[in-house]
Amino acid sequence: MDSIRRSLLGQLARLSAGAALIPLASVASAGINSQPPRREGDPTKRYGMVIDLRQCIGCQACTVSCHIENDAPLGKFRTTVSQYEVEHQDTGELATFMLPRLCNHCENPPCIPVCPVEATYQQQDGIVVVDSDRCVGCAYCVNACPYDARFINDKTQTADKCTFCAHRLEAGLLPACVESCVGGARIIGDMRDPESQISRMIAEHRGELMVLQPEKNTLPQVFYLGMDERFITRPLAEPVALEVLDPHGKEMGYEFHGH
Amino acid sequence: MNSMAIELLAPRYAIAWYPWAVQYFFLIAISYATLWLAAPALVFGKNTWLPTARLAMLACLTTTLVAPVALLADLHQPLRFWHFYAYATSSSWMSIGSLLLPLYVVGVLLLGWLAWRPALQANRQAPGLMGLIARLLSFGAAPTPRAALVLVGLATLALSTGIMLYTGAELAVVKARPLWNTVWLPPMLVASGFIAAAGLVLVLNRVSGMRDLTSSGQMLKVLLGACVVAGLVAGSWFLDGINANVGSVAAALDSVRASPSWRSTALWGGLTGLALFGAVLYLLTRPASRRPGLYAWAWVLGLVAIHMGWMFRWVVLMDVQHVARNSAGFHHYGIPAGSSGILGIVGTFGLWLAAVLMIDLLIPWRQARQGGSAADVSPSDSNAQPDAKSVEGAPSHG
Repeated sequence: MDSIRRSLLGQLARLSAGAALIPLASVASAGINSQPPRREGDPTKRYGMVIDLRQCIGCQACTVSCHIENDAPLGKFRTTVSQYEVEHQDTGELATFMLPRLCNHCENPPCIPVCPVEATYQQQDGIVVVDSDRCVGCAYCVNACPYDARFINDKTQTADKCTFCAHRLEAGLLPACVESCVGGARIIGDMRDPESQISRMIAEHRGELMVLQPEKNTLPQVFYLGMDERFITRPLAEPVALEVLDPHGKEMGYEFHGH
Repeated sequence: MNSMAIELLAPRYAIAWYPWAVQYFFLIAISYATLWLAAPALVFGKNTWLPTARLAMLACLTTTLVAPVALLADLHQPLRFWHFYAYATSSSWMSIGSLLLPLYVVGVLLLGWLAWRPALQANRQAPGLMGLIARLLSFGAAPTPRAALVLVGLATLALSTGIMLYTGAELAVVKARPLWNTVWLPPMLVASGFIAAAGLVLVLNRVSGMRDLTSSGQMLKVLLGACVVAGLVAGSWFLDGINANVGSVAAALDSVRASPSWRSTALWGGLTGLALFGAVLYLLTRPASRRPGLYAWAWVLGLVAIHMGWMFRWVVLMDVQHVARNSAGFHHYGIPAGSSGILGIVGTFGLWLAAVLMIDLLIPWRQARQGGSAADVSPSDSNAQPDAKSVEGAPSHG
């Protein structure tokens, strides 16, 4: 991807971070592929998350604690931290870049209108959840999410995703990933409360916050501080885990890239 | 900023739709396209299209029966299918499709029954199972009004456009998969559906022993037309997006540039399409005297056409799911052996073959008519026993 396009997307990422914060109104309408009305949850709140990448050390404590808290099947993640090694080609300097990923609880979530049975819906507090008793497991939402935040849970055979640990928020607790974050990089809170930590951080860093894949017009509500605009879309990187195939083309395992 | 990045750690993202989806999209496309191939004779009364209509109706009814099975199998919770009707959702194309599909299936079944009823009535005295089925299914001796056929046919044709629209739109609205997110995908699905359907009728024309020359000529013309439309759609899609930085064409070019397997797929698809078009054009432009000999081989082109229709859906539904969205590189995909892979693919085709054989054994589909009564069905109306002299070496069948 050329640098002009990258920086354009970077601009867009910043703009939409700002734009998403102004009117947090529901955009429900009746047309095909438009957002159905939100239901349940506290209408006086709008949960969001700021991830301060300057504090993330890539320890994956969030990944592990989420896995334990939410009993996700092995190999599937409600949240995880992508890690990249970036090398400056002139100086040879090396740096590591950590990118925690989770559901963005978008203001315009593309996963919701596609659900044929309204099993997945957005609460009035902005949290996107799945009713696993209603879900038919058609996996349409898994394909519709540009962030790969959804998966089919092998145990329940229904769609699964990050819920901002809504069950913990309800009990006055922090989400597992936030609570376990070593550097305090994840800040969750009510963006409608001007006194909340997240609101104060957003006010302070408004110009620097970025969101992922802004061009998809999903208006994500997970904002990254200290983000490198080269990583807001699919990273232009060499994949490190090369698959080792046997003579029949069947995968035998991974091999790390020699560097 | 000159820098190079290496991805150290990223999860592997599994595919969400299995080959069942390919089978559904393939079978339902054959279903709606063969319905339109059966329509000239059955609905609009064009007698020259009657042999084609007989073959097309067999293909249409069997694929219509099997397609929903594949669709159901792609759900991770198939027993919850009733949720589609308990919680219908106007915002979802899939939900709209779930309402259209049963109506369409009923329409096709009704149309098939109306077309086959006079022959069923003529078969009431037949010995054994065939007679029993004929007595059970013919519902009395009253003649089948032509108007009923036209009415049911028109309604089913209308429903079939709904199926074309929803299957295409369902994919085209998904912004998260840029390759799907284009208005050119739905028309391409329809065009490639007609390619595969015409191909299947050509093959059925051969294996059923009907070997109808007129039908082969008609199907070759349909193939030619569908190839031209597919070419135009593909060209428009390409020109529409060639200058865009993001979107369907940009994503396709990225994939072709970065992946050898995408390169070979694109090359194979393009070359096969051109070869098919060229071969069909060649057959259609031969002098009339040479046609019988050449048309006897049209079924080979039929197989190529079926391959095109199926491969297009495989690439669109399976390969596109392997284009990584949040990690570097390409996912490797080995088709699993079990029900979410090869068994599913083979099983669907096996079920379809079983449906074709059951109908061939028990239903006089070769004498399908545009309405009427048992008296109208004469043995000469049937192409069941081909003249041994005109088709040398034909396998005895039926």
